[in-house]
Amino acid sequence: MESKPRLLKILDIVTVLLFISAVGMVFLYAPLEAVMGQVQRVFYFHVANAWVGMLGFLVAAIAGVAFLRKGDRKWDIVGLAAIEISFVFFFTAIVSGSIWARGSWGTWWTWDPRLTTAAIVELVYAAYFMLRQGIEDPDRRARFGAVYAILSFISVPLTFISIRIFRTIHPVIIGSGSAGAEGSFDMSPKMLQTFMFSLLTFSIIFVDLLWHRIRLGRLADKVENLKLKVLQ
Amino acid sequence: MLTSILQQAPAETTRYMVAGYLVIFSVMSLYILSLFIRRRNLERELQILDEMEQNQK
Repeated sequence: MESKPRLLKILDIVTVLLFISAVGMVFLYAPLEAVMGQVQRVFYFHVANAWVGMLGFLVAAIAGVAFLRKGDRKWDIVGLAAIEISFVFFFTAIVSGSIWARGSWGTWWTWDPRLTTAAIVELVYAAYFMLRQGIEDPDRRARFGAVYAILSFISVPLTFISIRIFRTIHPVIIGSGSAGAEGSFDMSPKMLQTFMFSLLTFSIIFVDLLWHRIRLGRLADKVENLKLKVLQ
Repeated sequence: MLTSILQQAPAETTRYMVAGYLVIFSVMSLYILSLFIRRRNLERELQILDEMEQNQK
């Protein structure tokens, strides 16, 4: 049985410490926002979750290109790992955003360009798992998965820029937003520090989880190969 | 004056903040738990397959 690498053990500890610090900053360090009140604190982890989602989808697209170029199955494992993690975090971003919207805009959901494109991204990546489930041959599954990961990534920048090019009520945190945006606020230095620290923490969480998920993928591959060998 | 003070107070949205973080922490915990369970199951399966392979030899 493969033992956990020392570096991964250290990364686990660092990740937990960073996460505890980020939670502390969100609740104890960042000031209360003057208009929205406590619900504004959701913003720090909501954006960080969305960031991890987009980061993972990018990693999966790069892994897809690497797989198509080199044909090495390890890139398929990386791609699957990145999409799985990002799918979970992006889902959390959508749900936490919906809760924030209820407190800030007075509605759980509106078919705003950002919310709509985010929902499309999540559905596009949900189809990735269905596609993989439907293909038995591992090489074919990896090839189709790689192509799908590359093509589906087109939806990610579209979501990112949607609040910058369309008229939307979703606030823009970096850069100037639409005139109709609701729930915008000026970040104080403490808010900005908490926001940047949350982004850093979630990036490290992503790396840590990706490493764990890749190890799991390698183990699953090993089991699948051994199963074929034993059953033949 | 009282109206002016009330108007300046932030909105009471604590329950939405609690709900938001409950979702974030719950989903993260469930995902980490799922990684742990899947790894444990695969390790068991690998052990059984290793034994089967040894018996076949």
